[in-house]
Formats: sequence, C-alpha cells, structure tokens
Amino acid sequence: MKRRVVITAMSILSSLGHDHGEIVRSFKERKVSFERPAFDDEVVTSSVREFNIRDYTGPLKEGRYLNRGSQFAVASAIAAIKDSGCKKDDLVEAGLFVGAGPNLNIGGEFPDVRGGEIDREDLQALWILRFLPNTAASVIAKLSGIHGENLTVCTACSASLQAIGEAFRKIKTGYLDRALAGGGDSRLSPGGILAYKKASTLYKGDSEPDKASRPFDCSRKGFVPGEGGAFFLLEEFEKAKERGAQIYGEICGYGSSMDACTMTAPESTGKWRRLAVLSALQEAEMSPSQIDVISTHGTGTLLNDEGEANLIDNIYIGCQPQVIALKSWIGHAASACGAMELALSLICMQENYVPEIRNLKDPCRGEIKFLRDGRTLPFRNCVIENFGFGGQNGALIVRRAEDV
Amino acid sequence: MDVFAELKKIIEELMDIKDRNITPETLLIQDLGAESIDLLELAVTINSRFKIAVRDDEIFLTRFRLYSAEAKQQGEDTMHYIAGKYPFLAKDRIADIMAHIKEGPQLKIKDLISYVTYRSQWV
Repeated sequence: MKRRVVITAMSILSSLGHDHGEIVRSFKERKVSFERPAFDDEVVTSSVREFNIRDYTGPLKEGRYLNRGSQFAVASAIAAIKDSGCKKDDLVEAGLFVGAGPNLNIGGEFPDVRGGEIDREDLQALWILRFLPNTAASVIAKLSGIHGENLTVCTACSASLQAIGEAFRKIKTGYLDRALAGGGDSRLSPGGILAYKKASTLYKGDSEPDKASRPFDCSRKGFVPGEGGAFFLLEEFEKAKERGAQIYGEICGYGSSMDACTMTAPESTGKWRRLAVLSALQEAEMSPSQIDVISTHGTGTLLNDEGEANLIDNIYIGCQPQVIALKSWIGHAASACGAMELALSLICMQENYVPEIRNLKDPCRGEIKFLRDGRTLPFRNCVIENFGFGGQNGALIVRRAEDV
Repeated sequence: MDVFAELKKIIEELMDIKDRNITPETLLIQDLGAESIDLLELAVTINSRFKIAVRDDEIFLTRFRLYSAEAKQQGEDTMHYIAGKYPFLAKDRIADIMAHIKEGPQLKIKDLISYVTYRSQWV
C-alpha cells in the first residue's frame, strides 16, 4: 500500500500573529506591521513584534548561540512539538529538516570591525555557532530528543519549503514515520538590508510603509523583507491515525529543480521553475485543474513576478485557480518564507478564507485570477511555490484535511 | 571589585539562570549543569571582565585527577604535588577536593574566586 504523509502539528511566528485566531483576525481586519526601520528610512520591513524565545523554551543557555533567525526556528519547532502532543520518547526516531539562511547581521555581531580585525575581548569562545546554519537544528534536537535522519537545507528562499519536501519524501519512501520540518529566518539587520539593497532587489521609495509590498502590480518596486518561523510535524498517515493525531492536511506532492542559469535572476523562459511545479503535480497525481489556490512566491520584484505570471499562464491554461501572494502580508521571510506561507495557507484552508493580494491595483497580467478581495472560499488543494537566489525552485502540494 | 558578585553575574548570564541560590559553595558542574562549552565561554568571559590571563586547565582544575595519579606514580606527596600545580588553592581546599572527588567534579565557585584573586595579583 502506498504510504501517505499528513501534517499533524503546526506552528507559526509571524508579524500577523502567532496563532490561528490572531492570524485570521489580522487577515480580516487587514492588520499588518510594515514600517521603516530606524537605521534606514529608504526601505520598509515587516518585523515580528513581541517575540521572546524563552516564552517557548524556558531558560535556554544555548540561546547565546542563536541568531534571530535561528531563534525563530527553535521557538516555532518547540511550539509545533507542543501542538503535536508528542513526548520526548515519541520523537527519538523522528527526523528533523530545517531550512536556514546565513546570519547577515555582520555589523551587529562585530561592531568594531576595522581592517578585517574582528578579535575583541568579549567575543564568545564559540561565536562560530552564531554563523553555522545547523545551529538551530542542533538546539532543536537537544531540546526535543530527536535522533533520526536530518538535514539542514540552505537553498536561499526555497530552503524551508524544500526542507518540508525532503521530510515528506523520507516518510513517503519509508525511511521515517515521523519528522519535524520547517524553518526560521530574519535579515532585518543593517547587514541584511545592505546586502539586498546592494543587489537592487528591495523596495525603495517614499510610499506609506504598508503600501510598499505590492506583488504582481505594475508599479511594484522590489521586495519588502520580513522575518519569522514556522514548523510542522509530518507523519505517515496510518501511524498518525493510530495515535489519534489531529490532521491539518496531507502533503501530496513535491518538486524541486535548479535553473542552472544566473546567480540571482530567474531563468527567463521559466522552463525549470515549471519543472518543479509539474513534478509536484505528477507526484500528487493531480492535473493543474485540480489546484484551487496557488500561493505564489510573489516577491514584488520586477523579474520574479513577471516570470511567475508566465509560469501560471503556462501551466494553468484555462484552469483559473485563485492566486494569492502572502508576502504582501508578512514581507519576504527569506529562507523561512516557504514554511510560513504553508502555515498561512493551511490556516486559510481551515478557515475557508482567502486573503487578497494587498496593494494590487494594476495587475501585471489581466488574464490571471489574482485575488483582489479577501473572501470566504472553501478550497481543497493548494500549491505553495518558492523560488530562490541561485536558481532554486520548489513546489509543494497540500490537500485539505477533510479529504484525507 | 567584589569578585564573587561579578562571577555570580557572569554565571547567571551565561547559564541563563535567575533566582538560583548561588553561593561560593555552589558546584558548577554538578549543581548548575555546566557543560564543557559553558566552561569554555566562562574562561573567555573571566579573561575579558577581570583582565587576567586564564588557563582553562588551571581555573577549572581539569587535571586534578591526573596530577593526583602522577604524584602517586612518582612517589611524591599528593597534597604537595597538587599545591605546586594549583598554587591558588589553599591546602584544606585541596584536601576537601581529594576527599570528595569520587562523587563527581568538585569545581566550586569559590575555586574560581581563588583563581581570579590569585591571578589579579600578578597583573
């Protein structure tokens, strides 16, 4: 019998809130947290206010080695475990798959760097841990007692979606029965902002902060960086039923590919992004017409959105799925965006609600069904798509819990 | 400078603990659960806050058992031998450690105080 994989626990730490009720209220009351950071008034960011990792972990001496992104990863992982009801003994053989990015808070970590001299008396003995991408995984494992197969995925903006996809595959193919997967990231420091500003990918302008992120609008000017984390417990369906676990949805298919083209811009024909989405559809044994909602990568950069509109046109000809862009609500959470957008999509699925693409006045492509008004809408199948620097492409298909 | 008060502050910060009754008699490893990476950070922090050169094997008494065995091997008086290696420890403290060492690591906060005080004299 074919093994199936279901999501049995979920957590998200986002600028819209940290639980289902709060997030749904933020969607419906259009409460967002875009602002100009104190250190740079040219750009706009979306930060998570009121976050303290100790609210999730209790006292944590390893906290000294966690950069802000890793803190989101660890806190949301612990919250997902709590949601699952699993105890340490249940997790011994579980897997752990974490999407992570680099710590770009260079100036914050080394405030005195001059001429390459970073040594200073108060530098931690193990300051390296604040930069290693698997530090979050190491702390999550220590706190949860997970000992199984694991992987830290560092594929830029598709990292956490790919981490979840890899966990899905490990369970589907029988290597694991249970895996924790997700990610956390934050690049809202001066170093992170400088990196993306130099790459000319950020929104720069004098609009009201909450008008800055406008995916698929003709007047879009770049992405607005965000932050946060989200984690899920994935389980083999029969095992999940046995323990009476709550089921949030089924992961039916996953695809990934590489453009093998430029280092940052998407490949112009969209051929390889298409491959990732078609692979996911094939694994899910679904046709494009069965997809009700596309959660796009939708960054608000000229190139990404143009390429993504082509992709939608190309794959979903005549199908007209609803198209949403969650970065217009939470900003672009870098390597964590896939996990966060999956969590938000599942919350919307449970709530029978789809949020509009904010600030979309003049759509870049008239024939695509970009969602313009948030509305009640039951939907069954949703695809999450993320595309990262380096030509990293990922797509994941989830089916509604009641249909499992 | 109140060495104990400063050390207490450093340890509370490093181990992320509050409201624990930390005294000079507190055992770092057995009572507070300090691991090797915590000691590594503690050495770096003590070095920076007290402006003293810290040698990990001295301050944390890491070679206490080894020195004890060496003394026996060489037919020397253990107390005298260890006092030569750890000149910052009083003789009765060495005797105390020798008496309890089978119960686990005996490093106490008061040993750190002794080390910092001793080293500070040589700055």
